[in-house]
Amino acid sequence: MGVFALGVVLAWPSEAGAYIGPGAGFALLSSFFGVLATIVLGLLSLVRWPFRVARLAWRRRRSGRRRMGADRVRRLIIVGFDGQDPRLTDAALKAGKLPHFAALAKRGCYHRLRTTCPPVSPVAWSSFATGTNPGRHGIFDFLTRDPRTYLPLISSTRIQAATRVLRLGPYRIPLGKPDIQLLRRSKPFWSLLGDAGVWSTVLRVPITFPPDRFNGAQLSAMAAPDLLGTQGTFLLYTTRPSGERFKEGGIRIPLTFTGDRAETRITGPNNPLRAGEPPLEIVMRIARAPAGAKAVTIELPELRLTLTLPLGELSEWIPIAFRAAPLVKVRGLCRMQLTECGEHVSIYVTPLSLDPERPAMPISHPSYYASYLAARIGPFSTLGLAEDTWALNEGVIDDATFLRQAWDIDTERQRMFFAALDRLREGTLTCVFDATDRVQHMFWRQLDGSKKGDDPISEQYRRNDAFLGEVVSRLREGDLLMVLSDHGFNAFRRGVNLNRWLLDHGYLALKADRDGRAEWLEDIDWSRTRAYALGLSGLFLNIAGREAHGIVQPGEETARLKAELIKGLTGLPDGETQRAIHAMFDARVIYDGPYVDQAPDLIVGYERGYRVSWDCASGVVAGPVIEDNVKAWSGDHCIDPSLVPGVFFCSRPIANADPALIDIAPTALALFGLDAPRHMQGRPLFER
Amino acid sequence: MFGSHRIKLDPKLLERAQRCAERGGYATVEEFITHAVERACVALEESGNDDELKRRLKGLGYLS
Repeated sequence: MGVFALGVVLAWPSEAGAYIGPGAGFALLSSFFGVLATIVLGLLSLVRWPFRVARLAWRRRRSGRRRMGADRVRRLIIVGFDGQDPRLTDAALKAGKLPHFAALAKRGCYHRLRTTCPPVSPVAWSSFATGTNPGRHGIFDFLTRDPRTYLPLISSTRIQAATRVLRLGPYRIPLGKPDIQLLRRSKPFWSLLGDAGVWSTVLRVPITFPPDRFNGAQLSAMAAPDLLGTQGTFLLYTTRPSGERFKEGGIRIPLTFTGDRAETRITGPNNPLRAGEPPLEIVMRIARAPAGAKAVTIELPELRLTLTLPLGELSEWIPIAFRAAPLVKVRGLCRMQLTECGEHVSIYVTPLSLDPERPAMPISHPSYYASYLAARIGPFSTLGLAEDTWALNEGVIDDATFLRQAWDIDTERQRMFFAALDRLREGTLTCVFDATDRVQHMFWRQLDGSKKGDDPISEQYRRNDAFLGEVVSRLREGDLLMVLSDHGFNAFRRGVNLNRWLLDHGYLALKADRDGRAEWLEDIDWSRTRAYALGLSGLFLNIAGREAHGIVQPGEETARLKAELIKGLTGLPDGETQRAIHAMFDARVIYDGPYVDQAPDLIVGYERGYRVSWDCASGVVAGPVIEDNVKAWSGDHCIDPSLVPGVFFCSRPIANADPALIDIAPTALALFGLDAPRHMQGRPLFER
Repeated sequence: MFGSHRIKLDPKLLERAQRCAERGGYATVEEFITHAVERACVALEESGNDDELKRRLKGLGYLS
């Protein structure tokens, strides 16, 4: 058999997949070893099958699961609508716009759901998964900082390049995969259920990149990067002259036509398989349609692909492949739109999403699960924050294009949800839908003027309701359905630059020759700075022995400084009548657990209508303390958690009238007969 | 399957670690030991490439 397999491998060498990490290099699976490994793993899997069945049965017996009782279910289905707000939900329920939500509330229950502090998705969904406060799972914001350098880091993922490299002529072959680690700690409920032999499917729950390894299937979400290794970088090919760079999220590429034709390149990640790591590129030829038609033809000769882009239409997914070395390709997906076609031509290209069929990074567990889903439902976006909010912020795309993109992604998600639901016989299915969050971020500006509910946010809630109706229609006896959100939403009208406030009040100092305009705290003189802000809600003290250049002594001086800042910032006035900050929270008071020392020292709870300013979030000190937010991104939730609870609907009434997000994990365990482990802090929602 | 290694630990130390893990709010003793080792490593390692760290944040919608 082995000889046969070897023969097959040698006779039909196939193209290899490459495994990349952003800036981290490729771990090469050559065609030979790739196919051989697949065959060997397949055989091993067959041999191991009876042992796996026996092990599962043993796990189930050993797990201490109670026998079926009134509180037990066969399938637990959790639908997460990220950011669905209770006040908007109540208003729509009252107006009769959400009949399926109303029916679910009548059949079971509807409550507000207490969120986390701060009420942001990485934190909230991590508490949802683990049943613990942030001090026990270690995620406190989108960002954290390296206390050795004060530089920002994505809080949930660490990526390091493969360290050993084999040099072959112009090629550099990494010997091993990049080290990509999920930094969310503790143990999610699906892992605990898996240990007890209960299957879970987990789709697009934030902070699952790289995926957990457990008895179940998972598709990664928030923090999964694009092919360039960023959180989403769009491209704009344009003939419009402009020396300006996009402030964030995009790259402008000049386009020059000779007659009706132009030639340019799509640039991918750097190629770590080549000396010097040059960027991977493919040629893109653009031809104007004849006779003044408002369209262009795009030709990608290396991919043997030609397509027509009519003006204003967002294309379907376009497969992209970069050749990194002989038989090695890095694959992605993008969508394109011709945004103008007159005197000037501009073409928008979405961030290059990893191709789920052959992902260049680990985005699912088991590794083939993303490919399986792609085979079931077709290509789909794999980027963590998939909706291109920055392209809309920068005016590169219009409202309609953003909505088309967001709702197409929402539809992809619905299709993968139903594909998973239909196959689930027993166990849990959890799926998070992001469109509610993204649409509210980008269209809150239209909510105030909406009289007839014809705004995109109202439409999004109706979409959620229609989807819920479809879910309910597929429920079986023994199913329990929860529909919940991680936080609510509010207007974001004014931004607060805490670093500027700290500068004005003598807690922060700038270097002698700097004006505070540089990003990521570069202008700060650490030898004279006692506190600084970074991320969406956090304020750090510059503590000696913790930060590289800390000057605040731990103990009494730290406590005194905290008290001073809490007093100074609570109720921060904005003009005569407004207050920008509702409350300040001491991390040592509100959190407990082994990771509290990684948290910001103080968490800022903004008032409704306020948030950290764009400048402050990226470490800029200059500018006013409080300023108007003029971006399309006009709604937010990074405020005091008591002001933005989520929603909780369930097909069965619950015993607790004041449920919290951290109660869901122990509830999931209880519904399959498991007691919550001692480290979990939430409580089951159903009476035994 | 290829990524984990067994490390010998004195049984008494392991017992202590298990007690501490529970008291400290860790989900497992493995999590406790991993955290302890990581903290020790961070104290001795150099930090990453500055530009690369900043580049990875590009496009995060919440930031400007």
